[in-house]
Amino acid sequence: MKNRGHHLEEERLFDSYLAVRGGQILDPPVAEHLTDCDACGERYAELTQFMESLNAEARVEADAIFTPERLRVQRQQITRKLEHLGHPARVITFPGRAARPYVGSSASRPGRRWIAAAAAAGLFVGVGTGFFFDWERAPGRRTGGVMARQTVLTAPAGRVAGEIEFARPDPSDEIRAFLTELELAGEKPRIQVLSAVDALTPHVREINLR
Amino acid sequence: MSNDLRTAFGVALEGSHAEPEPASSSRGRRPVGAPPSKDTQLAIAIRQLVDRGDMEQARDLFSGLVEAHQRRASRIAYQYLRDASEADEAVQDAFVKVFAHISSYREAWPFEVWFTRILINGCLDRRKARARRDRWVVPAGDTGGPDDPRMAAGPSEASPEARVLARERRARLAAAIDRLDGRQRTVFMLCHYGDHTPREVSAMTGLNESTVRVHLFRAARKLRGLLGGTP
Repeated sequence: MKNRGHHLEEERLFDSYLAVRGGQILDPPVAEHLTDCDACGERYAELTQFMESLNAEARVEADAIFTPERLRVQRQQITRKLEHLGHPARVITFPGRAARPYVGSSASRPGRRWIAAAAAAGLFVGVGTGFFFDWERAPGRRTGGVMARQTVLTAPAGRVAGEIEFARPDPSDEIRAFLTELELAGEKPRIQVLSAVDALTPHVREINLR
Repeated sequence: MSNDLRTAFGVALEGSHAEPEPASSSRGRRPVGAPPSKDTQLAIAIRQLVDRGDMEQARDLFSGLVEAHQRRASRIAYQYLRDASEADEAVQDAFVKVFAHISSYREAWPFEVWFTRILINGCLDRRKARARRDRWVVPAGDTGGPDDPRMAAGPSEASPEARVLARERRARLAAAIDRLDGRQRTVFMLCHYGDHTPREVSAMTGLNESTVRVHLFRAARKLRGLLGGTP
């Protein structure tokens, strides 16, 4: 035992404190000295009190925060995390119900896909048939229209071959011819839905009359 | 002042990969022939269950270990981090890490030592991350919420005056501990808040047992000087 003026060194006192705290038996010479020397006994008591109060303070503080309820929640969270340990990440579905019809509309259900295909085919056949019948029914009008247009472009007589000069028609005539052609084409509208619009639109002849 | 146990002590303290030291070193190990502690035996049983693939039973057994250690772990983590929520997370992470790496556990070390090492490494990582964060973030004012350590008081301190005094005392103590050198602080916390013996702290930190005692003594002396003999 190291003595300094018959008193225990601070370090020795601290070791003694640690030994007692760890449940060990105090070194007999030290124990004897502490009993005999009041000053060392007092220093040891002060040191022990200081260290114990530090410990107690920390315990009280932590125990006030980590209550049994909080520790129970902590245990639950640990258990939950352990249950998911090693599991592959899963894709979380989009929570909105409204998104469902869009997500699986035509791609996921074969029945709906067939309906969409049938509707497209029906539309195609209908448009094609309508075109064909209209073409058969009014061939003269179309040819008449073409002929009328051909009259606009005329070559003047007496010109030498090779020096053909296309007549520059009057712009107002050209516009009128175009509008007439449009009118003829639209006299019997092919699309029933547009007939109302057609009725509202003024005709060229009406404009001319004005 | 380094806060990192790994750099401060110059040893590899990789939480989940903590491997026991070579057989030549006897620091922190149980005496030859002494039976392993109850917790260590439990950890060995869990390891065997995990190796067999019986995860459900392993989890059941592990919950016993969690219950036995969580209070002490929370206390250590809180003293390190001084933030209840963060301490909570650190404790949870440590337990999850321990379970995830239970196959690498070797009974040469008591379970408590292995676990505490992992916990402290996690706390040190969090402290470092917080220090980085604090460089850029302006801390908000005192919230004074229920998690605020300064608001926490023991059940005996019912009166407002006692609460205020306790709050001031704890703030002073926390500031004093924060002023300790990194090694001193770690050793002090493990011994006094973690209730570990210098031998166990030696195993956790890789320091010589006598060095741990010296750090403890210096920490205590400095604290007495800073706090004026009373905490």
